[in-house]
Amino acid sequence: MEIDKEKCVGCGNCHAVCTMGAISLDEDGKSVVNQDQCVECSVCYRFLKDERYWPWMVRAIRRVLSVFRLGYLADVDVCPTGALTPPVLEWPRSLRGMFSDPTIVHPGTGIYGRGTEEIKSNDVTGRLRKGEAGLVVEMGRPGIGAFLWDIEKVAIALARLNADFETKNPVTQLMADTRTGKIKDEVLNEKVLSAIIEIKVKLEKIPDFLQALAKVQKEVDTVISVGVASRCLPDGSIPHEEWVRKAGYTLSLNGKTNLGLGRPLFKETEA
Amino acid sequence: MTNTLHRQGKAENLKKDYVVFMTTAAGINREGSAPEIQEFMRICHKYHPINMGNVKVGNIYQDGVEVEEFIAKLGEGAGSTAVFTDLDTVQKVVEELIQADLGISINISGLLDEVQDCCRKAGITRHSAEHSLGFWGAKERLPERETLEINTLCGHGMVSFNLIRKMIEYVKLRRLTPKKAARILAKCCECGVFNPERAEKLLEKIKKGDVTPSGKSVEE
Repeated sequence: MEIDKEKCVGCGNCHAVCTMGAISLDEDGKSVVNQDQCVECSVCYRFLKDERYWPWMVRAIRRVLSVFRLGYLADVDVCPTGALTPPVLEWPRSLRGMFSDPTIVHPGTGIYGRGTEEIKSNDVTGRLRKGEAGLVVEMGRPGIGAFLWDIEKVAIALARLNADFETKNPVTQLMADTRTGKIKDEVLNEKVLSAIIEIKVKLEKIPDFLQALAKVQKEVDTVISVGVASRCLPDGSIPHEEWVRKAGYTLSLNGKTNLGLGRPLFKETEA
Repeated sequence: MTNTLHRQGKAENLKKDYVVFMTTAAGINREGSAPEIQEFMRICHKYHPINMGNVKVGNIYQDGVEVEEFIAKLGEGAGSTAVFTDLDTVQKVVEELIQADLGISINISGLLDEVQDCCRKAGITRHSAEHSLGFWGAKERLPERETLEINTLCGHGMVSFNLIRKMIEYVKLRRLTPKKAARILAKCCECGVFNPERAEKLLEKIKKGDVTPSGKSVEE
């Protein structure tokens, strides 16, 4: 994101809205974006309503108020002068927006945001089948963001266990080699709000992968949200529960349930 | 996608937080799915969700949104969501969705055992399930609990820690009511999975001083 200094009146509303805390007041009293930390999520641009005031008018009013030691407190969800300006992003910076702005369709997946359909359409795609589990390792979430160099560290650690990276996943598509988990050098310095490493494993391998993850988590300077999914058994029970408990981890009380109402229903025997 | 998987809170809070959403699959049932998506949203709307959204069109808390117009704008592709605050209503929604037989994948995020009961009562067996294994890595970088609880109500992370803190401050200073502050936060969450009622209750608690600065509830 960029801020038009001609228009900015330094109200500071965009500072709190920024998901990465990347906006601050410059020495000239106008807001400035730390481009290294900005992940191009554009939430500031979408959330703050452009009030379309003339900058000179806002500045003049503020000056008059300051004479009387008074301040003007604008509504929190406005940019009085529409100073936020989304730039045209060139590669590789453009991938920041692809991963961080949910209103952008990711060119590699054809869907909005940084993820894939995962178990949400498992009833029709058969992505996760009997005896398999999906491991979703979301780097940078919640609210911290992640550089691709940290994401690569985790991908490499999981690749050592012969991870089956989901081919439609945006992180997999950035890999130079899916056998090693190495990510293309040209994107390593880019930062995203979050990115999901998505792999498919045999149920009995869950403990091995969680152990590898437990080890590599100490090497990254960001947070990781971890999820595990599987296809339910005919009685509705969840097969991965047993393996996660065996590995010594606690399962959340809440989670996601695919009701199986999609059609045509995927049948494993046809595969 | 793991948007609604990592919502934080105790069981008593999570009992009031269910996200029902539909997802189409490319090459299977996405093409020409706009009528089904719209019907899904009409069914959900009938049961008064606390929030509704679609990443392409936005959520119902954004400026100048009329629900009927919002539904009419929904096209094929992007998933659509509705948030409910009690299981009885979710049960009714699920039963009506089964009757409607839209042929698109329907998911519910919420307490897994309760959703399982809901499926049983409706006469269906759940197909797949996903758990969160929590937060790993540099957890020392995470904020206080109440901020985290509100932040995770938006799976895309569009509600910043700093905006939540600002709203907490404004509520404490009585510049905003908890309701108004929660609605402002909900605007950020593009796809409409944010639960403004949960956020409002938490802000109300903070206002009354029932949550200490360390983030721990006084009741604990």
